[in-house]
Amino acid sequence: MWLWNKIKQLTIPSRTGVVTLRYPYKPRPAPAGFRGQPVWDHTKCIGCAGCASNCPARTIFLRDICQEIRILIYDSSRCTYCGRCADLCPEKAITMSENFELATDNRQDITQTIELFMMTCQRCGRCYDLEIKNALDKLQMLGYRYDSLEVRKVIGQSTPEFEPEHLEKTATYRRPEKLEKSSCGKD
Amino acid sequence: MSRKEELLNLLKDKLRGKFLAGSSLEDKRLFIDIKKEALVETASLLMKEGARYQMGVGYEAKKNGQGLAMVHTFAFDADSLLVAIRALTTEDKPEFDSLTPFIPGAGWSEREYIDLLGLHFKNHPNPKRLVLSDDWPEGIYPLRQDVPYDLMPPSAEEVAFRLDEAPPGSSIIPFGPFHACLHEPAHFAVYVDGEEIKGCEYRGFMVHRGIEKLAATELTYNEIPFVAERICGICGSVHSVNYAQAVEAASGLKIPRRAEFIRTIMLEIERLHSHLMWLGVAGHLIGFDTVFMQAWRIREKIMWLAESLTGNRKTYGMVIVGGVRRDIDLTKADLIKKTLSEVEKDMLALEKAIIKDKAIHRRTKGVGYLSREKAVEWNLVGPVARARGLDMDARRDHRYAAYDEVKFDVVVADSGDVWGTLVVRIKEIYEAIKIIHQCLGKLASELQGSPLAIEIEGPVPAGQQGLSVVEAPRGEAVHYVLTGDDNRPERWRVRAPTYPNLQAVPDMLLNNKLADFPIIVGSIDPCISCTDRVAVIDRKTAADRILSRQELEKLSREVRSKT
Amino acid sequence: MKVVAVFVNLIYFLLLAPFLEGVMRKLTAWIQSRKGPPLYQPYLDLLKLLGKENLNSGGNWAFRLAPILSFSSMLAAIALIPLTGQANILAHSSDLMTLIYFLTLSGFCLLVGALGSGNPFAAVGASREMMTTVMLEPVLAMLLILGTVRIGNFSLSAAVSGVAVSRGGSYFLMLVVYLLALQAFAARQPFDIAEAEVEILEGPYMEYSGPNYALLRYTLNLKRMFYAWLLVSCFLSFILPANFLFSLLLQTVLIIVVFVLISLIGATHPRFRIDQALKYYALLLILALIAVGLAVKGW
Repeated sequence: MWLWNKIKQLTIPSRTGVVTLRYPYKPRPAPAGFRGQPVWDHTKCIGCAGCASNCPARTIFLRDICQEIRILIYDSSRCTYCGRCADLCPEKAITMSENFELATDNRQDITQTIELFMMTCQRCGRCYDLEIKNALDKLQMLGYRYDSLEVRKVIGQSTPEFEPEHLEKTATYRRPEKLEKSSCGKD
Repeated sequence: MSRKEELLNLLKDKLRGKFLAGSSLEDKRLFIDIKKEALVETASLLMKEGARYQMGVGYEAKKNGQGLAMVHTFAFDADSLLVAIRALTTEDKPEFDSLTPFIPGAGWSEREYIDLLGLHFKNHPNPKRLVLSDDWPEGIYPLRQDVPYDLMPPSAEEVAFRLDEAPPGSSIIPFGPFHACLHEPAHFAVYVDGEEIKGCEYRGFMVHRGIEKLAATELTYNEIPFVAERICGICGSVHSVNYAQAVEAASGLKIPRRAEFIRTIMLEIERLHSHLMWLGVAGHLIGFDTVFMQAWRIREKIMWLAESLTGNRKTYGMVIVGGVRRDIDLTKADLIKKTLSEVEKDMLALEKAIIKDKAIHRRTKGVGYLSREKAVEWNLVGPVARARGLDMDARRDHRYAAYDEVKFDVVVADSGDVWGTLVVRIKEIYEAIKIIHQCLGKLASELQGSPLAIEIEGPVPAGQQGLSVVEAPRGEAVHYVLTGDDNRPERWRVRAPTYPNLQAVPDMLLNNKLADFPIIVGSIDPCISCTDRVAVIDRKTAADRILSRQELEKLSREVRSKT
Repeated sequence: MKVVAVFVNLIYFLLLAPFLEGVMRKLTAWIQSRKGPPLYQPYLDLLKLLGKENLNSGGNWAFRLAPILSFSSMLAAIALIPLTGQANILAHSSDLMTLIYFLTLSGFCLLVGALGSGNPFAAVGASREMMTTVMLEPVLAMLLILGTVRIGNFSLSAAVSGVAVSRGGSYFLMLVVYLLALQAFAARQPFDIAEAEVEILEGPYMEYSGPNYALLRYTLNLKRMFYAWLLVSCFLSFILPANFLFSLLLQTVLIIVVFVLISLIGATHPRFRIDQALKYYALLLILALIAVGLAVKGW
């Protein structure tokens, strides 16, 4: 009886074989729909901050500078990879990638930062996106409502078919080198 | 007359003026408001009627100018009825009568609110500090509304938890806070005489994360499921489903049937995972590493399955209030069926290899014995209770999700020891596989194309109570939600199955051998993080202060002499 | 030549012992459906430990010196043995009692170190180790006395070679006893009670680190190999060829086979409790006594 049990225990591996994976050399492919590191597509992002305000782990931070630049910082170190941000993004700018090997000793490696040029809503003073061709932009292009001189300069040179490159050609366009140091009085 | 009305009438009749109100949104719940003088009387009436004590919930009802509230919940398993009694007290004299003298299982629930709310319980036999760290300043009660969620009081030196007097002739062996047989920080001071355990004192609650406080101050209704599932590393879906059910009950939300079936499947996959994992850990704890590795080899398949279903190795991220996030379509259903048949085959092979092994019998039979009466007294739940002959299972007794449409057996053993738990948990693996197959059948045939989730329409009305139970792999988990303003619950209380089971561990350990300590503690599958979820974030945990009191004293003396 | 034999003893054991642990690990891994570490992993482990810091957590000389004493007494015991049945130069000044003395001393030093560490888990481990030693050393002594009784000479080579001189009832009874005690001698499951990881966190070894821990691990490896060697050269000496090299080669193969056996049994058993183990040891001891009694009778 004793021996029979032991033999049974010893025959299990002969059926299953060695199951150890050659992990770091040959990772197992992630299945479809895997929730790995979220990746932001800055060309799609409209800066609505839906991801930031719905993140259960509060790991997406939002900051406006001078009502022109909206900075979105995603700090992966606290992320739970629930994928709520990807679900809620109205423009589908966030995809849950298959990347899961995120261990690092430098937090910056897994931090993503997006700087978006925004326009100021004349009604409420908050930012909205400029680099995207959305309905609001179109209204703006046609000079529907703007009374800020700076904005007028930008838009004065733009065409109805607005492209982000046009923006860079304008005289007032200057991307701050160090966002933290940029002083603009209002911040 | 239903059992609920019977009880309501009985209480009205006996309590007379002390009965304030009784309400219920669903037909299987009963929420009663009473005057605080009648707390003991009501509780003993309910216990006499055959109730099982579940948990206590304390909260500050300041918003309504009502002072402090204490809710005790009871389960009538035979009648699928959950009863919650609530009493209020004023803030200047926050005192209730203690239920612990006649319900020992209420001990922790009450001690918790001594710490967190500053309540007093008259006649509590052991009102020691339970939750807060030893150097937490007196007079700050984290769950009070004026205490911010991120408060970090300065830590104090040379404060230590006072252990009870060791029985004469015994010495103390400290198990924990970090010990190979405890997979999370918890401290058992074990009093041993030679190799025999003569007593044990537990000091836990070292993994505070302040989840309940966060939910009451920071998060919103649909963010909480993602935090709830991270209460536990194993029963993620249990807590998120449980929370969602409690909110849905409180707000009167009826979720799509398909979502309920998917939730059931996730819960059962989780059970498979948990049982296999526990089987492995149990093997490891008795020094049988082959069982450990083989059980975890089978478990890995479940984890890969979960990865395909939810997008991650754990059963996380499936549940939101109002339904589920991801569908289980036909290809995924096929994958589940394939995995389950493999798991079943592997499990049968493993079971055959170990179930008659005399060496395993020798280490588990008669170990950690607790009689049926004691099990009732301590309100044990789950496989630990079922191993002691208590025929209880929330899936059958308090049907939730889609369990009313599936057939399964509740496995009961009566040996009352670790061996019984082992048998119950192994058999439940096959029951879980059975349930998943039935659910998949339903999903494929009747529920094609139904929506996965519905939105909460408009704000959830404030002040509603919701109570939900889910049979976690380790036993019954209870969630209580009191809805509040600002799109978040005013109070959300989680009682994990380990909470009652752990209270009985000192009794189980008594007169066993020291070598059996790991497997006895392991037999309840203690989920310390589930149990400790409450309280306020305290990054410098009490851990490094209690275990090595002497060592720390020595250390601090050395430091002082150097400076 | 007889002086060289001492060094052959030491080199043979020191080189082979970690490899045997590698065999054990690999095989255990296979039973657990794992790949397992490469066979040379124990050498790397020892090297790594040698390069680490020696923490003197016990804070006294007993704790510090115990590993080196334990290791050197083990080496002393190994230096004495007749590796391929031929006595070396030390045989003149030693007998089987010297061997048992050195083996016990090695275990005793470990106990001293464990108690010197002041750790309650190490103390429990030490008390378990002590009980095991008290019950098991007599079994070992009985084995050697059996050989002595057969040949009538107290020298070590006589004791070792005497066991298999004639293969009667006492031989087979002793073989059974030794096989049953093998796991306990090797401190493997189900008898790794003194080191039980999940209960008392490696017990006596708990507070050791760095080179000191490396020495203790090496000692354990040597001890296991010694008991495997003893099994081969006591009970199977009659099949070893006369040629030294062939004999050594066959012996090595047989020792590996013994380790395979140890791994198989170890991987298919849970750990016993000390009270269960003590009853088992007592039974072994009685059987060993009977075997010696039979030998005295000439059976």
